[in-house]
Amino acid sequence: MKFQIPIGPQHPALKEPISLRMTVEGEVIRDVDIRLGYNHRGLEKLAEQRNWTQNIYLTERICGICSHSHTTCYVQGVEKLMEIEPPRRGVYIRYLVSELERIHSHLLWLGIAGHEAGFDSFFMYTWRDREVVMDLLEMISGNRVHYAMNTIGGVRRDVDTALIQKILDGIKILRERSEFYFKIGANEPTFVGRLAGVGYLSKENALALCAVGPTARASGVARDVRKNDPHAFYDEMPFDLITADSCDVLGRTVVRIKELMESYKICEHLLKTLPSGDIAVKAPKKAKPNEFVSRYEAPRGENIHYIKSNGTDKPERLKVRAPTLANYPATIEMLRNGFIADIPLIFAAIDPCICCAERTVELVNARSGEESVVRFSDLRTLAAKRASNRTAKGNVPWPL
Amino acid sequence: MAALKTVVYLLVYPGLIFLFVYSTFAEWFDRKVYARLQNRMGPTHTGRFGLLQPIADFVKLLSKEDIVPDRADKKLFSALPVVGLAVVITAGLLLPVWYFDGSATAMVSFPGDIIILLYLLSVPTLICFLAAWSSTNVFSTIGGTRVLTMLFGYEVPLFMSVLSPAILANSWQLSDIAHFYQHKPLLLLPNLIGFVVALICVQAKLERTPFDIPHAETEIVGGTFTEYSGKKLGFFRLMTDIEMVVSSGLLATVFLGGFPGGLWLGLLNYVVKTLFIIFLLSAMRAMTSRIRVDQVVNFAWKYLAPLAVLQLLIVILVKGLLL
Amino acid sequence: MRVAVFLPELLRHLFKKPNTVDYPFKKLEVPAGFRGTPFLHPDICIACRACERDCPAEAIVITQVSDVEKKFRLEIHNDRCVHCAQCVDSCPTTPKAMEMDHLFELADFDRHNLKKDWTYVRAMPKKEPKPAAPAAGPAQG
Repeated sequence: MKFQIPIGPQHPALKEPISLRMTVEGEVIRDVDIRLGYNHRGLEKLAEQRNWTQNIYLTERICGICSHSHTTCYVQGVEKLMEIEPPRRGVYIRYLVSELERIHSHLLWLGIAGHEAGFDSFFMYTWRDREVVMDLLEMISGNRVHYAMNTIGGVRRDVDTALIQKILDGIKILRERSEFYFKIGANEPTFVGRLAGVGYLSKENALALCAVGPTARASGVARDVRKNDPHAFYDEMPFDLITADSCDVLGRTVVRIKELMESYKICEHLLKTLPSGDIAVKAPKKAKPNEFVSRYEAPRGENIHYIKSNGTDKPERLKVRAPTLANYPATIEMLRNGFIADIPLIFAAIDPCICCAERTVELVNARSGEESVVRFSDLRTLAAKRASNRTAKGNVPWPL
Repeated sequence: MAALKTVVYLLVYPGLIFLFVYSTFAEWFDRKVYARLQNRMGPTHTGRFGLLQPIADFVKLLSKEDIVPDRADKKLFSALPVVGLAVVITAGLLLPVWYFDGSATAMVSFPGDIIILLYLLSVPTLICFLAAWSSTNVFSTIGGTRVLTMLFGYEVPLFMSVLSPAILANSWQLSDIAHFYQHKPLLLLPNLIGFVVALICVQAKLERTPFDIPHAETEIVGGTFTEYSGKKLGFFRLMTDIEMVVSSGLLATVFLGGFPGGLWLGLLNYVVKTLFIIFLLSAMRAMTSRIRVDQVVNFAWKYLAPLAVLQLLIVILVKGLLL
Repeated sequence: MRVAVFLPELLRHLFKKPNTVDYPFKKLEVPAGFRGTPFLHPDICIACRACERDCPAEAIVITQVSDVEKKFRLEIHNDRCVHCAQCVDSCPTTPKAMEMDHLFELADFDRHNLKKDWTYVRAMPKKEPKPAAPAAGPAQG
């Protein structure tokens, strides 16, 4: 006898609103219906009304955990459109912050995996050690999240030798703690019992459903933008592409912990071989009409920004494809024939960043309950009509 | 006069008020130990060292709005918390810690009271299931089925391991068992395996990690207690706390040799021994993660039940050889 | 697979001090480059409106109070500010007229208490050529 359980939009297992309607039979899930759109903020439309510099801060606020990856992806694209090349030191500092962000995101994910499995002590310990990275990032950039290090043409702040030494010390502490977590994660019987064999995604399915990031790498698919399509000096960094063969949540945990170790290696290499020089070049205000697709490996997978310019100081179109959006079809496949008790773990194993992925709008008629999906061209016509009635920027009557 | 004494015993000590105060102290101790094991502070600012925190939580819950769902069975829904509380307090009256007439050691004591105590401690599980059933919520129903599934796992090993020291002591009366072990403390050692098995089963009965499946917060919202709020939820939480105190009192009586020493020394003995058991339960809670309900039944029948049978065999051997 | 592999580490923590900082009774120091709220040095500002143009949150509003005296009023809406410090980077003067302080305990019951403003006569822009691309790299052509 099948009945429907609603997980979400409000549920303690989810940090953000998303609706997963599960059709279950006993304790086994037969089908999943994902509905998005609860966190839609209209960022792509907002980006068309702000100039290139202001958009850095707008794209940063797409997500809190992977904020630097969105900024870097955007700024890489805009630098190509403006045909300027940032200096080497600036790019090294940019990648240093990227790897520190990857470390912080993977430690956060380990804590979340522990919490979803009921292993609260593990959660408290990993988040306590994450404070080391947060303090380092605060010293480098001035803020614990939303680092705002990027500017078009390079980075905004420099690191001096005292700070470099502090970062190296912090990485040493974190390395020992990560090895301890690897030991716990692989050996604690109740934890491994929850993670092993859960959320199986075979290699063919991972390729067919276009999974990205650690979700795909744990199924043996060797796909990483930093190796396959390296942008500006990533091919000089010494690190390995980590894959696992177990295709389940335990594999994803192992991939993420090993990626932590690789990030420590990259950070140390960057700090020891930091070249001297400028950290930024001056960027023009306007960009010639052109379009560019920029790809970047966020902690969750491949992040794609498509930017189109039309000769003014504002972009014509910014389209964001976040990695979590690519992992949703794979999630549906993983949840099928799983147990209800495993839902939070399977969903947390793709490291969902739901606010990154909110790019669709589905309209539900409140009276009749019928749903329709609106075409993008219709939405643009409606928006253009409304914008033509709008007063110029700066004179918009704020309510307060 | 005797009626007045009984009323005082029932309401003040060893009854309602003492159990309420002591169970809130035990909850504070559990939360503080759990927090210190995780390198954080635990309750700190409510009262000195945070001692008033569980009482503050209880008072807060009493003052919240009490919502009964539309389709729920109202009489059953409202009566269950009170019945649950009454059952665990009655179970508390059977522990041999109360010295009032010099010789008798419990407020109520008769042969077979260990079985009554175990039975009274199983009733809260059934009350949780009825609470889930009368809530008519999808999450509660799943929680209720999980409660009963777990009951099939841990109940048999618990009974077998708690009754082994009773067999060794040749009596079904709690005060006699405590008396026996106070005179022959070395005979506590053969019961060690039973102690470990009983600790794990008590953790499952109290629905704490690794067995907090029925009210797993991240999976089924609140589980059996999803629809409860306000006073009813406050009574359920108090029921869980008092259940923890009474179960650790039972384990301390049977495995750690009871509480000798008269009124004040016996009380001190009771506090120290139950806090030791609660410390072990908290360490177990901090050390493990939650397991699935099918894994609980698997684990219970593959490991706990054979160990309990082994304990019974050891007890029979010792009884035959030494007594 | 070892049972209780976590236990020694847990028990060791019983004897360590907790890692929690007892805020608000004890506070941590923020590092030197911390981005708090922006504030103005009115004697250096040349009222070029670069910060107003580049602010992503429309938090800076510059109005001309009197034309004959070149008097300007700059208002910073701290309730709209996102603390990105782009205004500091866009400011073309040396030393910079916009600066970030280290305040972070900004909560208030009324959002109008968070607005700051300065009324001043603008300084004259310097005659010598601006230094080319200082190390902080302002994103401005």
